[in-house]
Amino acid sequence: MVELKDVSVKYSTGVDALNHINLRINDGDFAFVVGSSGAGKSTMIKLLLKEIDATEGTVCVNGYHLNKLKRRKIPELRRTIGIVFQDFRLIPTMTVYENIAFVLRVIDAPTKYIKKRVAYVIGLVGLQDKAKHFPSELSGGEMQRVAIARALVNDPKLIIADEPTGNIDPELSFEIVELLKSINACGTTILMVTHEHELVRHFGGRIINIDNGEIVFDDIMEGTDEI
Amino acid sequence: MKFSSVHYLVKKGIDNVVRNKMMAFASFCVLLVSLLLVGVSVLAYLNVNSIIGGVEQKNEIAIYLQDGIPNEMIEHFGDNLRGLPNVADVVFYSKEEALDDFKARMADSDMLFDSLNGENPLPDAYRVRVADIQHISETVSTIAKFEGVDSIDAPYDFVNSLLQIRKVLMAVMGTLILAMVIVSIVIISSTTKTSVYSRREEIQIMKYVGATDAFIRFPFFVEGMVTGFFAGCIAFLVTWGVYTAVTNALQNQTLVLNIIGTGSIIQFTDIILPIAISYMAVGALIGALGCAISTKRYINV
Repeated sequence: MVELKDVSVKYSTGVDALNHINLRINDGDFAFVVGSSGAGKSTMIKLLLKEIDATEGTVCVNGYHLNKLKRRKIPELRRTIGIVFQDFRLIPTMTVYENIAFVLRVIDAPTKYIKKRVAYVIGLVGLQDKAKHFPSELSGGEMQRVAIARALVNDPKLIIADEPTGNIDPELSFEIVELLKSINACGTTILMVTHEHELVRHFGGRIINIDNGEIVFDDIMEGTDEI
Repeated sequence: MKFSSVHYLVKKGIDNVVRNKMMAFASFCVLLVSLLLVGVSVLAYLNVNSIIGGVEQKNEIAIYLQDGIPNEMIEHFGDNLRGLPNVADVVFYSKEEALDDFKARMADSDMLFDSLNGENPLPDAYRVRVADIQHISETVSTIAKFEGVDSIDAPYDFVNSLLQIRKVLMAVMGTLILAMVIVSIVIISSTTKTSVYSRREEIQIMKYVGATDAFIRFPFFVEGMVTGFFAGCIAFLVTWGVYTAVTNALQNQTLVLNIIGTGSIIQFTDIILPIAISYMAVGALIGALGCAISTKRYINV
C-alpha cells in the first residue's frame, strides 16, 4: 500500500515539485500516473523509493514510514518494490539471467531457489531463449521485458513502472502493459507512470493526473479497447 | 551474509576483472609502477642502512693502560670491559705488539729505536668496538672510571660524521618513500575513480533493487584486491631480476666493495620472503582500498 498525506517536496533550487498532495493506492491496484514533463511524476517516484525526502507530510510505502526510515533500512524497503525504468537500466556486463538473478542474490536467496525462480520469470516474459544474452544483444522490447522480469522476480508488493513504454515501438507498448496487467492480476500493485494517452485510454482503470505538483484528477475510467 | 553469497560476490569480483579488462589493466599498470617505486625506495633505504651499519662496525676505542700495572689487573680490566652492555668486541694489544707494529711501520728509523736503549715506552692497551655508536660517549665515560686507565682515544669525529650522514640519508630516503607512497595513493585513487565512474549506473541499479552498500562494494573490493595482488606478484619478479642484476654487477666493483664493505649489500635471497609477502599484501590492500573508497562517492543513491 502507498499512502501520501499532505506531501510537499521543495528542492533546494526553490522549485516546488509537489504541493500538498494526498494519495492512497491500495494493495492489488493498478494505477496510471499521467502528467506533462516537470509535473512532478518523477519526484513522486523518487519519494516512494526514498531517494529524496518529503519537505512536508508523511509517506508510507508497503508498511514503511519513509519519514522515519533510517538510511540502513532503505535496501529493505526497496526489496519490497520492483522498479521498471524507461531506459531499462540493465547491468550491461551481466547476462539476462544474471540481471534477473541479481535481485535474489541481494536478498541472500538460496541458489536452488534462484535457479528455479529466475527460469520461471524468464518464461513469464517469454525470453527463455535469450537467458544467456547480454543486454546489448537484445531489442528495446526485449530489454524492457528483462527489466519487468527483474522487477517481478522478488515477488514485490509494488511495481513502479516509470514510462516503461517510452523507449520502445508503439505496437510493443501494448504488449508491455498487457504483461504488467497480467502481473497485477496475480495481486501485485502496479503504479505506471506514462505520458502516452492512447495507452491510458485503451486500458482504462485508475488514472492519476499530476499537474504543477498537484493531483488534478484521480478517478477510474473505462478502457476503450481502441488501438 | 551466507557463504553462497560471499562465494557469488568473490566470483563476481574476479569476473569483473575479466569483463572490465581495460580498466583493470590500467589499475594494474598504475599499481605496478607505484609498487615498484615504493619497493625500490624501501630496498635502497634498507641497503643504505646496512652499509652505514657496516661502516659503524669499524669503530674502535683505544684504551691505554697505566704503565707497570700487574698482569692480573690487566686481565681483570679486560673482563670488566667484556661485561659492559654496549661493548661488542674486546682485543688486548700488548705494549710488545705495539712496539713491533711501530717498528714495522717505521722501518727506516733504526736510529730512533736505538735511542730507546731497549726500553719500550708504549703502553699496554685494549681495543674495544662498541655495538651502538650513538652511545659511544657513555661507554667511554664508564671505561674512564676503571682503575688503571691512563688515557682513552675514541673516534668521536668519525662517529659524529657517521651519525650526521645517517641522519641526513634517513631523512632523505624517508621523505622519498613517503612521497612515493602519497603519489602512488593519489594516482591509484584517480584510476580507480575512473573505473568506478564508468560503472556508476551499475552501482545505482544495484541500489534500486535493494542491495546494501556492503553488497555493492564487496565485488569492487575483490576486483581491486585481485588486480593489486597480481601487480604485487609482477612487481616482486621485476624487483628480484633488477636487484639481482645490480648486486651481481656490484660484486665486480672491488673499489666500491672496499668502501661499503662486502657484507653490507643485502642479498635478495635473504629477504625474498618478506619482500614477496609485502609486495603481494600491500598490492592487494592498496588495490582493495582504492576500489572500496572510490565506490563510496557513487553509493549514496
